[in-house]
Amino acid sequence: MTILDPVQRETDPTAIEAIGRYFICDAVPTGLVAVGDTVVAGFGDGQIRIFRPDLPMQEVPAHGGAVLCLARHGASVLTGGDDGRVLLVDIVGNITELAAYGGRWVDCVAAAKNGTWAASVGKTAHVCDSEGRTHALDHPSTVGGMAFDRRGERLAVAHYGGVTIWTRGRRDWKASTLKWAGSHGAVTWSPDNRFIVTSMQENSLHGWRLRDKADMRMSGYPTKVKSIDWVGKNPHLASSGAQEAICWPFDGANGPMGQRPLMLCHDGDALATAVVGLPGHDALLTGFENGVVLFSELDTIADPRVIKRRSGAAITHLMVTPDAGWMLVAAEDGLVLWAPLGRAG
Amino acid sequence: MQDQIPVTVLTGFLGAGKTTLLNRILTENHGRKFAVIINEFGETGIDNDLVTQADEEVFEMNNGCICCTVRGDLIRIIGGLMKRKGLDGILIETTGLADPAPVAQTFYVDADMAARTRLDAILTVADAVNLATHLDESHEAAEQIAFADIVLLNKTDLVDASALAAVEARLRAINPTAKIIRTARCDVDLDQVLGLKAFELDRILEIEPDFMEGDHAHEHDDGVTSISLHSDVPMNPDAFQKWFSTLLRTQGQDLLRSKGIIDMAGEDERYVIQGVHMLMDGNHMGPWPEGKKRETKLVFIGRNLEAMNLREGFEACKAA
Repeated sequence: MTILDPVQRETDPTAIEAIGRYFICDAVPTGLVAVGDTVVAGFGDGQIRIFRPDLPMQEVPAHGGAVLCLARHGASVLTGGDDGRVLLVDIVGNITELAAYGGRWVDCVAAAKNGTWAASVGKTAHVCDSEGRTHALDHPSTVGGMAFDRRGERLAVAHYGGVTIWTRGRRDWKASTLKWAGSHGAVTWSPDNRFIVTSMQENSLHGWRLRDKADMRMSGYPTKVKSIDWVGKNPHLASSGAQEAICWPFDGANGPMGQRPLMLCHDGDALATAVVGLPGHDALLTGFENGVVLFSELDTIADPRVIKRRSGAAITHLMVTPDAGWMLVAAEDGLVLWAPLGRAG
Repeated sequence: MQDQIPVTVLTGFLGAGKTTLLNRILTENHGRKFAVIINEFGETGIDNDLVTQADEEVFEMNNGCICCTVRGDLIRIIGGLMKRKGLDGILIETTGLADPAPVAQTFYVDADMAARTRLDAILTVADAVNLATHLDESHEAAEQIAFADIVLLNKTDLVDASALAAVEARLRAINPTAKIIRTARCDVDLDQVLGLKAFELDRILEIEPDFMEGDHAHEHDDGVTSISLHSDVPMNPDAFQKWFSTLLRTQGQDLLRSKGIIDMAGEDERYVIQGVHMLMDGNHMGPWPEGKKRETKLVFIGRNLEAMNLREGFEACKAA
């Protein structure tokens, strides 16, 4: 006898699919940023696609090749492309070029609340503060990821062999290093700025407690971790890469050291490929390689709910607007679901 | 599931003719779209938005295994290229001094690369005029020949027949399985060098020349040598697997390429293996062709082969 899992049995659209809209974008999604009730999406065809409640999707030609990276910058979005340009895109699609670096790819961008932004080209992170002063910060190898702390005074740059933390000085930026063998990609600060976590080329996350540079190994994933996000008031770092969302507790003084992660949202053997927290809620969405999206409270006894049914391609990106009112789901084949979260209860 | 994009690794010393070949691939009207990853923009003078520069960043994985070194720059660049649609292939140019091993290993060790791309072939451009000098002066030249699936022996119009024969003999001593194509100005039909699937096991069955007319070891002073082993007696499957896997695990660093068709005792199908360093792929590849005798052929290309007692180990795997 075959026992069907809940998702397979469900053939009717979910409540959220029923009130949302599907779009078929013939391009690979590369990143999502939420600004107010708008989500700005970058794609491999160089287009920016903008999703707003109750308005048609807006397509804006932005980069010559692919949009490689996006970051929220105030009320706009910073983008980097393989045409070597850094653009500022506002939520109605106006574009301003902030910088151009010849033919070299802009691999990563980051922005701080105080107006400072950064773009990486190869081994160099170019930082530009709100007064327009620029600095070129060099690293031993190509930059894999960048993130400012919550105050914009420090920039974490991940690369081969660890992370360089740049602290803003009176005249320039001072470097200190966090070492860990291997190649580091995306980097994130904990909401309280006490911890740094990177996703590695191996199937693991690595973290440091900044106070004493203590290492935190977060391993055991069957695949690479491609998506991480902070969830909840007592923050947990949710991550893809396993058969459920792995959520590491960062609510104590020691971070996840000596603690077991919560394992939430399970859809048979399917691998989780994207995670996102619901701002202001102890809850998250998890996307899977089979196209399913599940909702769960940050609680092991909660029953996950199906947000999106099974369909062809893997979910690569998820985004929820800051008021948790709308969500955007993007799949590898370019399928996008844009739907209100609140109205479905 | 997306199709895997074929990747061709183009290697060879400065001046051998790599740039000529790259320019042909980029400019000829063949109806296919290739992305090219090069070392230096200066050399090629190609202006094409699908040409990207690599930084030759060799990364060790955290597990410390030398055979798991990969090219981090290639993972990053190919990851970026995968965001575009409609690419028919990727070419990676490496310098004459680059170690081809991490390049090849990148496509096996990194899970994303293994899922999205496949290594099509390693193509080495050699210069018939200067190859002997290169081989004498640097071990990299021998390693590039050793790794190759195809050697494009270029500038053959500039040497006489006896010099050409001498160069080919030296190539064969290092690499008995590579296909050698003679050209004057890289004027080769592109179908002979692209889309070859040289790393797929069924292609091992098609390898011709010296592979093999019987046992022979090629002794040479290049440091990189090859040894061909042959048996009409079937192999004991357990003994062979144990010997071969131990060999790769302990000597993988010195074994550059290995290829073989094995007649396993008690099995109806041909067992085919191919390896790059420690990484090995092996499978049953259908029954023996009718009218052809069953026999085992195995070739190793590498360094310090004499010390590995390969012949003794091989002999000991014969089924009683």
